[in-house]
Amino acid sequence: MLRHQVFATAMRQWFRIAFPRNYLDRRKRAGFLFVLPALLFFGSVFLLPLAQSVTYSFYKIAPGGAKEFVGLRLYEKVLTDPTFWTAVGNTVQLLLFCVPTTVVLALAVALGLNRIANLRWRNVWASMYFLPFATSLVAAALIWQWIYDPIYGFLNYALSFIGIAPKKWLQSLVEVRPAIAAVSVWVRIGFDTMIFLAALQSIPQEYYEAADMDGASAVQRLRYITLPLLNPQIIMVCILELIFNFKIFDQVYATTQGGPAGESQTIIMLLYDTAFKYFRFGDASVMAVFVFVTLMLVTLLQWRLFRKPVEY
Amino acid sequence: MKRSGWRMLVILAAAVFAAALSGASVAQQKKLVLWTHWDQNPEFNKWYADKGKEFAKKSGYEVEVVTIPYQGYEAKYLAALMAKSSAPDIFMGMTHHWCGQYDFCDKMPADLAKTYDENLPKYMAEVGKWKGVRYGIPIEHGNFQQMYINVDMFKKAGLNPDDPPKTFDKWLADMKKLTIADPKGGEPTQVGFAIRSKGAPVGITDKFLPFAHAWGARMLSPELDKATGYANSPQMVAALTFFGDLVNKDKVASLAFGNPEDAFGQKRAAVIFRESWFFGWLKKNAPDVNFKVYALPCEKVCPGAGALFPWTDLVYKNSPNKQVAWEFMKFISNPKDDMEHHQLQGILPVWTPNLDSAYVKARPDYQSTKDMLAQQVPPTYFHPKSNELATAFGEAVVGVLFGKGQPKPLLDEAAAKMDRILKD
Repeated sequence: MLRHQVFATAMRQWFRIAFPRNYLDRRKRAGFLFVLPALLFFGSVFLLPLAQSVTYSFYKIAPGGAKEFVGLRLYEKVLTDPTFWTAVGNTVQLLLFCVPTTVVLALAVALGLNRIANLRWRNVWASMYFLPFATSLVAAALIWQWIYDPIYGFLNYALSFIGIAPKKWLQSLVEVRPAIAAVSVWVRIGFDTMIFLAALQSIPQEYYEAADMDGASAVQRLRYITLPLLNPQIIMVCILELIFNFKIFDQVYATTQGGPAGESQTIIMLLYDTAFKYFRFGDASVMAVFVFVTLMLVTLLQWRLFRKPVEY
Repeated sequence: MKRSGWRMLVILAAAVFAAALSGASVAQQKKLVLWTHWDQNPEFNKWYADKGKEFAKKSGYEVEVVTIPYQGYEAKYLAALMAKSSAPDIFMGMTHHWCGQYDFCDKMPADLAKTYDENLPKYMAEVGKWKGVRYGIPIEHGNFQQMYINVDMFKKAGLNPDDPPKTFDKWLADMKKLTIADPKGGEPTQVGFAIRSKGAPVGITDKFLPFAHAWGARMLSPELDKATGYANSPQMVAALTFFGDLVNKDKVASLAFGNPEDAFGQKRAAVIFRESWFFGWLKKNAPDVNFKVYALPCEKVCPGAGALFPWTDLVYKNSPNKQVAWEFMKFISNPKDDMEHHQLQGILPVWTPNLDSAYVKARPDYQSTKDMLAQQVPPTYFHPKSNELATAFGEAVVGVLFGKGQPKPLLDEAAAKMDRILKD
């Protein structure tokens, strides 16, 4: 009975949006129409492919497009494949390199920029940090490939001046992941800095003045005023970095293609190869569902655990 | 006035739209689109477009060549061929993939197939066929690795460039003489052998297979239905041990040298194993390299003329222009065009009458090609899943090169994975 009433109310609302009777109805319709293009775009570009991926993960898709329902067999196959877990492990290691480094460095840069009183200079520095973010990832990766070249690379050349022996970087089993992580940090730091900088500028100066009057040190001000008030932005940046780095592809594809010896093969690289090189769309869909579910769970967990409302 | 202005605007817009529409459809009807991923051979690719202009005089159809970068070409091909719209009329690929794993290829008309069957070198007769039916036109004779040596570097090392190593033992001894170690203990400044260690494992498998075949090993069973017992056989383990030692023990090859073609072209490596197209590539990109070409050395047996990537030109089954596409194929299927087309890029021509032409005889790989073809025929792996199989195998090869593990356990792992792929 209750469900019936809810349905009837909803239908009435829709009817009034379609055929408004008064000013309020027209406002509702205007609001709906404004949101409609975004809804359509989101639905067609994200929701439909997502639904299709979930569906495909239960089908073995034969060359030519014929489908056979196989239930959870592909999940069993993919989730017991050591190659898959190696790729997950590589991705997690990259995440562990990238996320804390990017967030901490971006915060440090934002704090530094926030102290520059001259607006013009602050903008110049901010633009400089933001520039890598505006660069194509593939182009950036190719430049870094040259920087990392063991023989002709700039990095080994620069390190030779301080007596450090040349390293193989992207061609080393040990150094490849930190090397790729450094590219990701370089690319992302500007974006995160902008978010922190905007948040820092919205913190009222009165809080700092009050802290000064109470004799708080710089570290105490950072710990008890700045960081708590930046908490929503820090959480958001962490989530964005987590998503970005979990889906890392361009840099790896353009530099190492997952090598050497699979040491930089990330989950999205494996997904791409599985779908488009080996033409196993069912297996690739299982991986896509895994990525989606993992990211959603981790994001919700992060949001729940670390988000604290702060008010002074 | 205002109303007439609007009318004029509407009429004008309609006229522009109609003109654009008809123009687009005319252009669509009068053009054959050819996709290739041979980005290292631009002259070879451009020739199709030039020939298309001649063809247009007869048929009204020109040929537009689209070069797809090799890295990731499979995804782009697949997306277009599945979508049907925006797919090419003609495309370059391997028959066992696009016609075997998928059903994207149009069967070659019987008369043209007969022409090719009668005019291809015997060892190429199966290239372009799937289950006995001809779909593709083989585009490269000499599509097997041969030994390119830098003559000057050989002389400098006290070796005779006219007396190349015939066995892998002698070859290794020569490679050691050709390698110049870094006194500071870093990477060698010059290596004997330009090894392929970067990029997709499938390509690394391709470069390792001559070693495997020389040691009497094969990647898959003769029926192509089993890997265990073949990919991890004692012979394969011995071959991979030798290959890995080139980098890790003997240090006559370096993983830091990047692209092996560049290393040879820049005179940082004295020897490379590559196919006939490399002659043209060297002429264009490293004309100062003084080189000679020889048959590959032998071990238990000789590696022979084998290819993991038998490239062909194929016609798309769902193309609305497939009849015209075949007409174009017929138009260019003659010894004269074959010679002109391949000579432009420095690749060996395909047609039998051209194999002893003045151009081919003057090439440095004329005798070595004959020598390679005289060796026993090596195994071929024209399986619809050859990419995935060779990738799984290549992971073991790369693992050994980078010191990730020993040949035997890595090959066991690879063989088990390949069997899973074969069974799936």
